[in-house]
Amino acid sequence: MNFKNHILQVNIILSISIVFSLAVNFLRPNSITLLSKDLEQADTIDIDTDEPVLLTISIDQAKEFYEKNALFLDARDEVYFNKGHIKGALKNIFFMELIFNIESLQSKEEPLVVYCGDPGCGDSEDLAYNLQDAGFTKLYVFKGGWLEWSAANYPSESIE
Amino acid sequence: MIKEYFKGPVVLVARLILGGVFIYASIDKILNPGDFAKIINNYHVLPFGLENLLAITLPWVELFAGICLIIGVFIDGATVLVVLMNIVFIFAISQALARGISIECGCFSVASDSGSNIGIQTILRDIGYLLLSYVVYYRKDNKLEFFPKLI
Repeated sequence: MNFKNHILQVNIILSISIVFSLAVNFLRPNSITLLSKDLEQADTIDIDTDEPVLLTISIDQAKEFYEKNALFLDARDEVYFNKGHIKGALKNIFFMELIFNIESLQSKEEPLVVYCGDPGCGDSEDLAYNLQDAGFTKLYVFKGGWLEWSAANYPSESIE
Repeated sequence: MIKEYFKGPVVLVARLILGGVFIYASIDKILNPGDFAKIINNYHVLPFGLENLLAITLPWVELFAGICLIIGVFIDGATVLVVLMNIVFIFAISQALARGISIECGCFSVASDSGSNIGIQTILRDIGYLLLSYVVYYRKDNKLEFFPKLI
């Protein structure tokens, strides 16, 4: 058995695969970026703008939204939501149910703040993109999420 | 030794199953890289930003490794890759299960309604593929192998 030869074969297969994958991704119509881009951070917030918005916000900006009674959406699993979430936030168990719940409270043009567990989780971005696909136009991703909100002792609630 | 049985049709069937499974698993991911990136992201194992790169390249590694196993080219290299991929899959699924997150497997289909959530059965299936890889790697003959020609 010649392990060196096997590693050489691995390298050949890997190289061919990588070259093919990058070439196909470059040429295809539904290509994706090589690295997923971080969303832009909002400098100032203009709630009355007619432009579609998809930005990240800081904890201070999230608090501002909270004080203006904006709707918050929790992108985490139900277990985490039940343990504690931003007061009044909607949970995302079934996406269609979430859309129905949002639309029973406000129009698609009103701001929504989406958050998940901590700055490292991607669920809030995923949910924001799904909501954008569903026609919602003012989406703010609160990256600090439950970690920062609970650490700041801002209004929260839990389901026992 | 059980390895004495690793020859002829046993090896050919193992190659065919492994190759077929990996080619089949790659197709939906190659067609929908964006959806596959979202599934990788759900596993929470990669730092944010790298899931796209993996979503673009991994399915093609699966495809070429599968093709190599079936057509009889670079079988040892392809088997090593299949083993490495299965170890990574088992690790990713186990850590997600350990943390109690219920997510789509993304093993064969990247559709969000495929209904194939991860579970113990997914890990057992991957262990099955590791056993098949063991048969292929320690095979005693080189039937229907075209490059490199050893015997």
